[in-house]
Amino acid sequence: MIYYLYDGSFSGFLTVIYDTFCSKEKPDYILKKSAYQRRLFEKIKEIETNKEKADKVAKAIKNKISKKSYKNIYYSFLSEKKGVELDIFYYLKLAFKKGKTIEENWANDRVRRIKRLSKKVGRERHKYLGLLRFRELKEGILYAPFEPDYNVLPILSNHFASRIKNYRWVIHDKSREFAVIYENGEWIMIDGNELPEVKYGENEKYYQELWKKFFEHITIENRKNLDLQANFMPKKYWNYLIEK
Amino acid sequence: MDIGKKLEVLSEAAKYDASCSSSGSNRKNSSSGIGNSAIGGICHSWSDDGRCISLLKILFTNYCIYDCAYCVNRSSNDLPRATFTPQEVADLTINFYKRNYIEGLFLSSAVHKSPDYTMEQILKTVKLLREKNNYNGYIHLKAIPGADYELIRKAGEYADRMSVNIELPSRTSLSELAPQKKPEDILTPMKKIGKGLKENKLAKNKYENAPDFVPAGQSTQLIVGASPEPDYQILKLSEGLYNNFNLKRVYYSAFVPVSDNKKLPTVNKPPLIREHRLYQADWLLRFYNFEADELLDENHSNFNIELDPKADWAINHLEKFPVEINEVSYNKLLRVPGIGPKSAGRIYKSRKRNKLGYYDLIKMGIVLKRAKYFITCKGKYFAGVPMKKEILEKRLADKSKNLNQLALFNNKEVK
Repeated sequence: MIYYLYDGSFSGFLTVIYDTFCSKEKPDYILKKSAYQRRLFEKIKEIETNKEKADKVAKAIKNKISKKSYKNIYYSFLSEKKGVELDIFYYLKLAFKKGKTIEENWANDRVRRIKRLSKKVGRERHKYLGLLRFRELKEGILYAPFEPDYNVLPILSNHFASRIKNYRWVIHDKSREFAVIYENGEWIMIDGNELPEVKYGENEKYYQELWKKFFEHITIENRKNLDLQANFMPKKYWNYLIEK
Repeated sequence: MDIGKKLEVLSEAAKYDASCSSSGSNRKNSSSGIGNSAIGGICHSWSDDGRCISLLKILFTNYCIYDCAYCVNRSSNDLPRATFTPQEVADLTINFYKRNYIEGLFLSSAVHKSPDYTMEQILKTVKLLREKNNYNGYIHLKAIPGADYELIRKAGEYADRMSVNIELPSRTSLSELAPQKKPEDILTPMKKIGKGLKENKLAKNKYENAPDFVPAGQSTQLIVGASPEPDYQILKLSEGLYNNFNLKRVYYSAFVPVSDNKKLPTVNKPPLIREHRLYQADWLLRFYNFEADELLDENHSNFNIELDPKADWAINHLEKFPVEINEVSYNKLLRVPGIGPKSAGRIYKSRKRNKLGYYDLIKMGIVLKRAKYFITCKGKYFAGVPMKKEILEKRLADKSKNLNQLALFNNKEVK
């Protein structure tokens, strides 16, 4: 059994891909360091993240397979599902031979799994484009906490970076405890525990109340249908919504 | 009156407008601005009636000079009235937008003082938002029937989408229920906006910098069930609007009783399933190459409540089925119940490489619940029941809509 361990980042994972493809070694498991428990008689290879190698792999995927395929790989990686790394490894083995037609290869279980995961992650990202709620803090900083199932924070940021680019904002993934801070066209990712205490600005409550009023009065009572509402907006999203 | 109270009154007054879409425009943000729009639209919440909330949907004012029987804001109705100022609307929009509550603004209005005056107020508001606040998010505006077209055209340069609501699907009903409105006042601006859209498209082909004009197109709304028109007449009207007026969407709104006017029918519940069937048929017109005359005719002028329009059409044309999935043309594939443009595209692409069997379809994620009765795969029919109208009718009936369905146990027994 060969275990490949990496630091958990996408670059780290792509470095694993680079090394395994170069050495022609077949890994039995590819795991995040934090997810690995030491047992006897196992061969471990710890892979040091290498930006250059990762970029090479990313470029090769985009040029030799397709941009769509790169997106599917990245999105499915962000699902953090157990074993997804190995699925991607075998997907790539096949994809580098087949080129862009890999996407239409419905018969292959691994290809199908990658596509399905990517779709799920994409769907959650899209839900949060709408359901994320910012609160205005003192000094006008906008702050949005949320608890996504998948690790969608990295793929949410560019949307808000163009939409509210002249504000300072923070999006905080509470379940993974990290956050993106944005200012002046640049954003960085930090540990969520480093964020200072949240204090609302003076107008925040006022606009929250207005929003609740709007939400209540836009409903047509004769058409009330809470099941339909819950279908579109399951309860797991309600924690950080102002209106619910 | 404080803003909170105004917001209550004027969102309450706007809620019967069905449209809330924020799609069709990809306006970019400017360097000092706020907002952009996503081409596919984004829903930001869902109200207790299950409808999506994408836009801050409000009236500018609900003071109205008209007395249309079907409308909640008619002048004879005794209810609280309010008017926003352009500044108030802009302030609400920006503050809701930056908190990501909404995707943009939907500004409609009752007709206060005169159509021109009302349209001027709407124009002033969008101008303020776009020019003073550098707001680049989505804006949907109502064109007020009877207003000077120059005002409407000007507003169209700032808006992403515009709409004029026809509301009642025939001239007779309009003169009966909305005697003060002239049908021409409604149709003329729609026609002109449609023409403007076409011209703008040509101008854009010529010059890159041609100014925008209603990039997300125009829409309208028809009320279903307030007047006696059958589905056939409504669908024919929609078809005409799509073909001749260059409309993006027609919305259907199940009539909700808002007054006890004797001219209106008495209904206990809004005809939601009828509304749903009309939407399904509307999709068939726009994405499935159906024509209204194929779906309904003078003798069969309303949709089957139990069956969706496509399944209904299919079981009445069983001579065209089953089709062989590996041979049939793309257009005929689209006519199989349960197969839409996405599935049809997948089948069309995959079958070039190798012939598809039933289980290949399952792997490809094609939903076969309804489709299996109408197809063969490599010559085999997999549904396992004879292709008879009565049998298929039962199998395809929409069970979730069956309100009289019996429960397995009633509550008393279980307790």
